[in-house]
Amino acid sequence: MDALIDALPLPYTDAVVATGAAVLGLLAGLVGVLAVLRRRTLVGDALSHAALPGVAVAFLLAGVKDTVSLLVGAAVAGTLAAVLVLALERSSRVRPDTAIGVVLSGSFSLGIVLLTHIAATGDAGQAGLQDYLFGQAAGLVQADVTLFAALAAGTVVVLALLHRPLTVVLFDAAFARSTGLPIRLLELVSTVLLVVAVVVGLRTVGAILMVAMIVVPAVAARQVTGRLATMLVVAGVVGAAVGTAGSLLSTATRTPTGPVVVLLGAGVVLLALSLAPGRGVLWHARRLRRDRRRRQREGVLVDVAAAGPAPVAASALGAGRPSRAVRRTLRRLRRDGLVRATGAGWSLTAAGQGAATAVLARRELWWAWLEHGAEVAVGDAREPDPDDLAGSLGAEAVERLRALGGTAPAVAGGAR
Amino acid sequence: MSAADARPPALEVRGLTVSYGRRPVLADVDATVPAGTLSAVVGPNGAGKSTLLQAALGLLPADSGRTLVEGRPARAALDRVAYVPQRDAVDWDFPITVREVVEMGRYRAAGWFRRVRRSERPVVDESLDRVGMTAFAGRQISQLSGGQRQRVFLARALAQQAPLLVMDEPFAGVDARTEAALLDVLTAVRDEGRSVVVVHHDLGTVRARFDHALLLNVRAVACGPVAEALTPANLRRAYGAAGVPGGAAGREEEPAWTR
Repeated sequence: MDALIDALPLPYTDAVVATGAAVLGLLAGLVGVLAVLRRRTLVGDALSHAALPGVAVAFLLAGVKDTVSLLVGAAVAGTLAAVLVLALERSSRVRPDTAIGVVLSGSFSLGIVLLTHIAATGDAGQAGLQDYLFGQAAGLVQADVTLFAALAAGTVVVLALLHRPLTVVLFDAAFARSTGLPIRLLELVSTVLLVVAVVVGLRTVGAILMVAMIVVPAVAARQVTGRLATMLVVAGVVGAAVGTAGSLLSTATRTPTGPVVVLLGAGVVLLALSLAPGRGVLWHARRLRRDRRRRQREGVLVDVAAAGPAPVAASALGAGRPSRAVRRTLRRLRRDGLVRATGAGWSLTAAGQGAATAVLARRELWWAWLEHGAEVAVGDAREPDPDDLAGSLGAEAVERLRALGGTAPAVAGGAR
Repeated sequence: MSAADARPPALEVRGLTVSYGRRPVLADVDATVPAGTLSAVVGPNGAGKSTLLQAALGLLPADSGRTLVEGRPARAALDRVAYVPQRDAVDWDFPITVREVVEMGRYRAAGWFRRVRRSERPVVDESLDRVGMTAFAGRQISQLSGGQRQRVFLARALAQQAPLLVMDEPFAGVDARTEAALLDVLTAVRDEGRSVVVVHHDLGTVRARFDHALLLNVRAVACGPVAEALTPANLRRAYGAAGVPGGAAGREEEPAWTR
């Protein structure tokens, strides 16, 4: 770790800050994946807020600002809070969100009262305790970074060893129990890992915003991958990157580190949520629009065909659709050479006739599938793809369906 | 039913009593699942069917009573059981592929801390193939339909290669094609000499395809070969005179308005 700090092309203090923040980001990212998949991120929030009175009590007991004893105090208080949340949930009719709200606000208030009391004593050694609220990366020293690195290494080892039992418990606890796995013990392990990550981040990111370091990397990672192993790696990298960039930025601008790191992280999450291929908001919006256009196009085409050879007025094609959408669709169809406009209205071109017949044939196949699908053996778990029913079922199944569906009304332009 | 064998029952509960808080869910239930049978657990909503499965396997604490798997205490015989929980109990947006879910069935046998060995692969492949999911092995599970998800769960259970398969409501919300395909697999498993216990709602399917049935309504109303257990009189006792699915006579026909 020391070699790494020396090797970085940064002034010494910046190199220490960057390395420390990278390590804590990595750790929070990895552990955050477990918390997000367990849907326990708010426990992380309660835990980090509760660490604050832990820090204060540790200071009062030790009388000096010694990193290790403060972190031990934070860890003990955080663990107590996590246990308290669980106990409230299990032993009373309090719902998880309520239990978390009570523990979080109660313990945080206690922390503020204690910190105010300590500040009022005028003890010179207490300067800097306030940094545990919003975090101050600039205060990191090399010994802190070495300690963080050791804790992070321990976490990586535990995750690597318990990777499979943890996956099974996270995904399907009932199945896990039936294979004889010690569920309670594994849950305890993941809670302890959460405590470690929070405690490591506390000084740098601060009690109030620490939860963001847990949530941000995991959420961003989930957007870009559907595999747990990849998700862990991506979350670790995102956490390290956000942590480093945020810490250096806050040190340079003399702002509290927590808010800067979290703003960066929120930006990453927004980007991932909107742009992620296959999951992102933009991707969904584009698909919805494409589907809607296609439905309109096919519907108008079929309705023009149903009106028979005589031209039909656009107003007669409403059928519950807004007339503007109908007109726009007609213009698009004309551009593609499928319909033509005459003085009397709209009619199909030869190509349009063919396209309408194809649409009707596809609908026919769908009806046949809905009616007779269960009788057609396809040999495996294949299910119809709404975009390409014939392709997804295979030629043989399509042929059988066509035969079974033979009683449906014939495909013809005028039949209605 | 394959030759009524001399093996100890696949699953046996004696005097099983379970309560949630002060409310009894199962009261003094005696039931036996003979080895090598396809057995159904049927009964009205709230009869305690899921609770029975879980308590019988020792996954849920019982107030009193004994449960045996192949004649041994259930908790000590979990390696003889493949349990399939209700489908809704898991997060189907979990970042995992179909194949990885099925591999979970091998973890216990292969060792929790080791990589899945090459020699385990054929078992996983064959399990995927039996439920028709080979083509979907690389899919992320959120992209699956309800029926395909149930197939994955069955594949995971098959991969466990256990002599007793216990499934909680596998056919709830599943399309007819999947139900038929899964029943074929379960029948084949039975024909291999293994035992299958399924919580099921549809009395028609139970009559047509199952060997053995436990009719449950907090108490065990009847337990035995399907024809003996699901008599009109027993069904009335379990469901109440008006509530028997398919009418008081226990026929398969549904009332017209449910179609």
